[in-house]
Amino acid sequence: MATTGQEEFTLDTAAELAAEEGGSKIEGKSPWTLAARRLRRNYLALAFLGLFILVLVACLLAPVYSTHVSHVHPDDANAGGSITVHGKKVPVLSQGGSKFGAGGSVTVTVGGIPIGPQWGASGGEYFFGADGLGRDVGTRLLYGGRNSLMIGLSSAAITTVISILLALIAAYFGGAPDWIISRFFDLIWAFPVILLGIALGTALSINGFNHGPIHIGAGSLWIPIAVIAFVFIPYIGRPLRGQVLALRNREFVEAATAQGAGSLRIMLTELLPNIASSVLVLFTLIVANAILTEVGLSFLGAGVQPPHPSWGTMIADGQDVLASDPWLSLLPGIMITITVISLNVFGDGLRDALDPRAKVRIEH
Amino acid sequence: MRTKRVRSVAVAAVVAAGLALVVSACGGGGGGGGGSSSTSSSSQGKTFSQIKVVWGTTDYMDPGLSYRLESWQIFQDVYLGLVAKNPQTCGVGVGCTKIIPAIAEALPKSNSDGTDLKFTLRKGLKFSNGEPIKASDFKNSIIRDFKLNSPGIGFFSNIAGSEACEGNPSKCSDISGIIVDDKAGTVEIKLTKPQSDFLYILTTFFAAIVPSSTPDKDTENPPPPADGPYYISQYKPSRSFTVVRNPNWQSIPGIPDGNPDKITAIMTNDLAQSAQYVQSGQYDYDENTLPTDRLKQLQQKYGEQIKLWRTPSTYYFFMNQRTPPFDKLEARQAVNYAINRQTLVDLRGGLGVPTWNFLPPTYPQYKKITPTPYPYDLQKAKQLVQQSGTAGMTVGVYTISDDDIDKKQGEYLASQLDKIGWKTKLHELAGANYFVIVGNQKTKAQIGFTDWFEDYPYPTDWFDVLQNGKNIHEQHNNNNSNVNFKDTNAEIDRLGHLPPSQAFTDSTNAAWAALDKKLMVQYASEAPFLNGVITSFFSSRMDPNCDIFTDLFDDVAQMCVK
Repeated sequence: MATTGQEEFTLDTAAELAAEEGGSKIEGKSPWTLAARRLRRNYLALAFLGLFILVLVACLLAPVYSTHVSHVHPDDANAGGSITVHGKKVPVLSQGGSKFGAGGSVTVTVGGIPIGPQWGASGGEYFFGADGLGRDVGTRLLYGGRNSLMIGLSSAAITTVISILLALIAAYFGGAPDWIISRFFDLIWAFPVILLGIALGTALSINGFNHGPIHIGAGSLWIPIAVIAFVFIPYIGRPLRGQVLALRNREFVEAATAQGAGSLRIMLTELLPNIASSVLVLFTLIVANAILTEVGLSFLGAGVQPPHPSWGTMIADGQDVLASDPWLSLLPGIMITITVISLNVFGDGLRDALDPRAKVRIEH
Repeated sequence: MRTKRVRSVAVAAVVAAGLALVVSACGGGGGGGGGSSSTSSSSQGKTFSQIKVVWGTTDYMDPGLSYRLESWQIFQDVYLGLVAKNPQTCGVGVGCTKIIPAIAEALPKSNSDGTDLKFTLRKGLKFSNGEPIKASDFKNSIIRDFKLNSPGIGFFSNIAGSEACEGNPSKCSDISGIIVDDKAGTVEIKLTKPQSDFLYILTTFFAAIVPSSTPDKDTENPPPPADGPYYISQYKPSRSFTVVRNPNWQSIPGIPDGNPDKITAIMTNDLAQSAQYVQSGQYDYDENTLPTDRLKQLQQKYGEQIKLWRTPSTYYFFMNQRTPPFDKLEARQAVNYAINRQTLVDLRGGLGVPTWNFLPPTYPQYKKITPTPYPYDLQKAKQLVQQSGTAGMTVGVYTISDDDIDKKQGEYLASQLDKIGWKTKLHELAGANYFVIVGNQKTKAQIGFTDWFEDYPYPTDWFDVLQNGKNIHEQHNNNNSNVNFKDTNAEIDRLGHLPPSQAFTDSTNAAWAALDKKLMVQYASEAPFLNGVITSFFSSRMDPNCDIFTDLFDDVAQMCVK
């Protein structure tokens, strides 16, 4: 077992795993098969995986919901519109206005209060009600989820790939490359994730990123993806570097070197497979963190740019009317909670399955 | 709600002569002077120890720098200039058009065209720090504005000898057109050409008198010594301030001495929290507008403790006529057809009245444009976009990100423009930088949200500053639409240069109204959509019936307890 101070992990051999599984019964089975067997027995993790898949599928079906159920585009403001509820026309936003009387008196009829959840009373329209601009909350919830999940998954994937490369290079070569990469990790680590995310997200969301051959528009989803991917690099890179450092001097690496294997071959065929289980666990955990970060950045205006929805922007849109229209913030909040809890519980289950003694986790 | 915002103005309205003199002499002119906005109260005038208030945050607490209503509302009881608007005659719907002498003992004597104004200061007046108020303090206050590069320096560009200061504000050392004599206590102001609204400009806080010893930098903790009935003893930006009686104050006719001995304020922009402070009785007055989603409930519960006021304000969408597609009339007309003004009022929680005019109805020069020139008609808007040949063009829509209502109105506009054939790109910017960015020609902001609250009650504040092509600037540009039509520019100048005796005549008022109509209907220079309403919320300890609303804001110093 190697320890870097921030994280702990074990490197169990197939024999060690087999011993825990009951000896001869699993003889000849690969560690992956054993892990799958363990995971199948973890019903809680599987249930939460199912929940996550449900959310994912629902969000992927957003265009179907938009076309066949709500009949509106997520960004369509219908502030002056009306719908038919039980045969009666009801405005999507309540109508109001001010009247001036004698002596400067003013009478106000409060307006702009969005229609609440209809629960099917108006067909599929406004099933979960409208937001302050008359947009369909249900449609935005699904499209918002799509954006949040896409950003979370994409940024986690990019972070993981970059982190693996950096960790392998740093730990395998050591010396100057290790020093440079480690200081790079330290530099990013020194900033709180949200603070660095806001700084980068705000700067890039004004004019986009236009350097060399890379041109990303200000409102592009690639901005939050890139920002989140960047800020999480050390959170995967550092533990992986520690693992590779421990593996670097193991006998099988020395054996490969003695047989004349090149650096690239050793890294890809000897080291990478040995950190694969940790990578998998870290990835599931970083996805949850990335989704939360996206929600935070979008809430603060540094992530997904309006009018496009994300769960974060939806919470922000609803916060000013929390007292009268709590569902506007509650619904995306519930979706975030479900998604993040499912990913975390499944991630823990996966970690237990892949390596029961491991304590791989994301440190902040 | 940060709709109670006064924007940066780099340029003053510069128009015809001596009008304000006539205004003051006539007691408010054609439409002014119509009585106080307060209802009478037996407790009015009774002093009490302290009022605790909740306030919105502001930019500065220095009269040379601040251009926000949150500061000006406090300044009205703290800083005086040579002349002041008469708070006793401010009436909702009629404006504060009457001007009275303040630090000056009388309204100025002037030559026939009003380009030479002579004031004599009241004798024996002192600042809150004990320094005597001298004639040179006025001159130095104006010079200080230049040195600070104050947003108000444009107001003084017509003073003879101010050109050098305008060219290099930080090096401003003298303005030859302001001649002062400390011994005699006289101030003479020479203008390069007649300017009708100059006395009104002298009522703004950029012309407030501060001691010559005041540093030529943002002075906030504490703010500069006062010459009004109160002074600001402590200010913590975005957190709190305290205002107490000026120990050296000597009563001036028409300027109220004030009721509370002390005003203690906590500052927040959280509307719900702000209202909660007053609901709980911890604070007595909420300067912030009530949250619109709770307005109905609060009105039902607190009834008379909530007051509603119409303001001399217009909310509108600017359309930059220097850049496509809004260089084409059809495109601007399309925007006017595409917005549902009632919906925009709804988005503001009902706190407003739809308008198609640029000038608010609080002015005697206002005449409602009839018939409704641009009724909501999306089909017509689509046709006009097609006719303009700009369909499919990408249009950048600008709005404020940290004000929920401004944000919604910008997003609504973007959504409507998408529906009529353009592709929009939203730019949501923080309120603190918004007008600086859209007021910079390099930004090339095509269309966006804006509003205007009057600086002083004459139409030049609207048409000369916002609709005159002569006042288009590369930076700090308030004419965001870059409105520049030869005939309307000439008409603005003509109306501004009328003899003072004709300034408030029916024909002049009608001419201003015709100008409003020509710009808004024939040229569709802007897309005005509502005149705003704001709220005042009092705790049960206060008597809301003695609230004085001075056209733009409540006067805290005149509030009274039950």
